[in-house]
Amino acid sequence: MANIAAQRIKREFKEVVKSEEVAKCAIKVELLNDNYTELKGEIAGPPDTPYEGGNFVLEIRVPETYPFNPPKVRFITKIWHPNISSVTGAICLDILKDQWAAAMTLRTVLLSLQALLSAAEPDDPQDAVVARQYKENLEMFQLTARHWTSMYAGGPNVNTDCDSKIKRLVDMGVDDHQALVALSSYNWDIERATEQLFS
Amino acid sequence: MASSANEDVKGSTGDEGHNSETKDEEKKDDSIFECNICLDTARDAVVSLCGHLFCWPCLHQWLETRPNRQVCPVCKAAISKEKVVPLYGRGSTKQEDPREKVPPRPAGQRTEPEPGTSFPGFGFGDNSFHMSFGIGAFPFGFFTSTFNFGDPRPAAAAHGTHQHMEEQFLSKIFLWLAILFLTWLLMA
Ligand SMILES: [Zn+2]
Ligand SMILES: [Zn+2]
Repeated sequence: MANIAAQRIKREFKEVVKSEEVAKCAIKVELLNDNYTELKGEIAGPPDTPYEGGNFVLEIRVPETYPFNPPKVRFITKIWHPNISSVTGAICLDILKDQWAAAMTLRTVLLSLQALLSAAEPDDPQDAVVARQYKENLEMFQLTARHWTSMYAGGPNVNTDCDSKIKRLVDMGVDDHQALVALSSYNWDIERATEQLFS
Repeated sequence: MASSANEDVKGSTGDEGHNSETKDEEKKDDSIFECNICLDTARDAVVSLCGHLFCWPCLHQWLETRPNRQVCPVCKAAISKEKVVPLYGRGSTKQEDPREKVPPRPAGQRTEPEPGTSFPGFGFGDNSFHMSFGIGAFPFGFFTSTFNFGDPRPAAAAHGTHQHMEEQFLSKIFLWLAILFLTWLLMA
């Protein structure tokens, strides 16, 4: 039965390559090995979101029991989103868990993830810090998510204020990702971020 | 093969050569019979009440994977083993017996068509109605076919053939039956 997984990915792969979303550069799938168990996905940040203009890379692992069980997907590109871990890239999305259905495909998974970027569900969070910020200070969340997009996903919106704060922490000997995480977690309050980093 | 209307609907992107395009379309014609799980042409096909097509082995494995949440893999409607309908295409009997494969496909359910409603106004049931009709009509049917010696029947078999002799024999029997019937009528 393991063969059905490879057979299906083969077929799906053709489907994604031919799909109109690929033509519009919205989604992309690449094979990483010959036995169709590891793939690399890519989704474009949806318009009118802090992720616009960014390109997000995903790790896709196809279990032997696919399609009866969902593929294991996580973000490789670092992202600031309530339902995605800012540390591991793990995703909290029902269709990748108990709401999976065997007729879903790589294409529908990628499109669902794109939809998740447009519509976060902060009440079912994967990253509690991000979710709290999203609920308490939406504007701050959007600014932060946009800055993460520019740093890691090639997004166009560089915030110079954020950049200079990161630089100040880097000058103190902090790794730039650590600096970003600390500042993001404390609403870009550099004193509190410094305090947390050096305590 | 595909009609022009179909081609319009399918509207391929047009980068490929013409040959590969036609091949593609043939494939798409098949794709309505593709299993929604393995994406291959459905074998031992079953259809759910919501109308979605699967191979029985594929659907069975899906139902086994989530025994507590039995939903259609396509539309997530509630489904169960008992409520899927097997599809028997012409020539499907040539395939190996699906029961030899594990698991067996559920059998089709066949309900007899509902009997036509009787005429309640006549005051008697179906049975007596048929009976009286039978007695009334049958003998006279014999009459018409047996005593029409004058009419040349269109498909009469040629004299001397085996079929002709058989017909002669049969009409004689009918003649005797008719005579017997007539005498019975006169006696009664
Ligand atoms: Zn199948
Ligand atoms: Zn369905």
